[in-house]
Amino acid sequence: MSKSGMLYVDKDTLFHRMDGAAKLIVFAVWTVIVFLFQDLRVFVPLFAIGLILLFLAQIPYKRIRLLVWIMVVFNLFNSIFTLLITPSYGSEVTGTATVVLDLGYNVLTLETCFYVLTLTMKYMSLMPITVLFIFTTHPTRFASSLNRIGVPYKIAYAFNIAFRYVPDLQTEFRNISNAMQARGMGFGKGEGSMRDRVKHFISIAIPLVQSSLHRIEVVSNAMDLRGFGRHQKRTWYSATAWRRADYIIAALSVVAILAAIAVRLSGFGRFWYPFS
Amino acid sequence: MSQSKFNFTTKTVVAIGIGAALYGLLGSISIPVFTQTALRPAIAILTIFGAMFGPVVGLLSGAIGHIITDLIWGGGTIWWTWVAGSAISGLGMGLVFMKSSFHVNEGRAAKADLWFLGIVGSLAMAIGYGFSSVLDIYLYGEPPVKMFAQFLWATGANVIVHLVLGVPAVAGLISRNRKNSNLTVLK
Repeated sequence: MSKSGMLYVDKDTLFHRMDGAAKLIVFAVWTVIVFLFQDLRVFVPLFAIGLILLFLAQIPYKRIRLLVWIMVVFNLFNSIFTLLITPSYGSEVTGTATVVLDLGYNVLTLETCFYVLTLTMKYMSLMPITVLFIFTTHPTRFASSLNRIGVPYKIAYAFNIAFRYVPDLQTEFRNISNAMQARGMGFGKGEGSMRDRVKHFISIAIPLVQSSLHRIEVVSNAMDLRGFGRHQKRTWYSATAWRRADYIIAALSVVAILAAIAVRLSGFGRFWYPFS
Repeated sequence: MSQSKFNFTTKTVVAIGIGAALYGLLGSISIPVFTQTALRPAIAILTIFGAMFGPVVGLLSGAIGHIITDLIWGGGTIWWTWVAGSAISGLGMGLVFMKSSFHVNEGRAAKADLWFLGIVGSLAMAIGYGFSSVLDIYLYGEPPVKMFAQFLWATGANVIVHLVLGVPAVAGLISRNRKNSNLTVLK
């Protein structure tokens, strides 16, 4: 995580050149489309397209490896959890029951397994586009694009500050934690009871919060001195002009969302179960 | 100097930013209690920032902070429904700021105010995460029974952190600030 860019990977591809606001529109449209449907036949192509886009954006796998693993573990736990708590939910949705396994308190049905698979793919199909967005958009440019799509600039700037100060606070957190560990406080597993570890955590949190409150004073004074908030509008150093590609992609996104809504209204896209 | 409590000053902007960064950063730390349930100390940040800077800062730093947590630890997905939950929680924790008898920086607080913070904050979390769970059912199609279990666990764990870490931290900040202004007027 670099100081200025957080997760941002600097490359020169179509996605990096695109304006943040256009990417934000694609991202929003994609998310809404995924929310609209509950159909594996929608999610698998979306996931595949997402992967291709991700490949084209030349994001090194090394950078996203952790995210991929978190996603895999999340889906695994979420699926097991769903299967254990509501093993026959899929049958409630489809109205058919194909028993796979008798769990005693309930029966696990094939419909539920398929439902869980659909749900997993639903989550997976959101992943590539999110990764694409966060890894190809510089936080400062992200703030200016938020402003462009209508978010008040003070809120957009708050986003900017938040991203800017995560690495700083992380360093601060590490310093305090090291200082406390040098005094003999343990935070890891087996370094004290639950109670002690919670207590030790507080001993980091208090100085961290205090120094953050101090930082708020310093930063807001510095911004006031430079006239922040004096005017109703603000320009951004990092703002880019929309190019033809941006207009085309934004227009395509609007078409896609309208088409998706039309398809959804025609009745397609409720939970799809092929074996009934 | 009397100012509207909703005034969007530079300090508000910075407080939102820093609060979100803190919430996002600490959001990655969790103390596992048992499977799928963890105490997330980050909630206390919302309590503190809500009480100190008000509902607007609570709402926005909850939302932005949650987005940051998800960017780092969300597995490449932003869980918008739970972003909404964090935002509503932050809003509720900031409501105490509206009371005239409560002011953290001046070290003023009636005992009832701290109760107010504890209870309204907890209620806001119940409402916020309830809202998230309902959205999860409708937007993602999660089974309602499962979401209800998840809702109870998430809310329970966060209410505990709010009451055990957050409210005492605010009380501590108030008493610390009171010491700095212990001048009394002789009659």
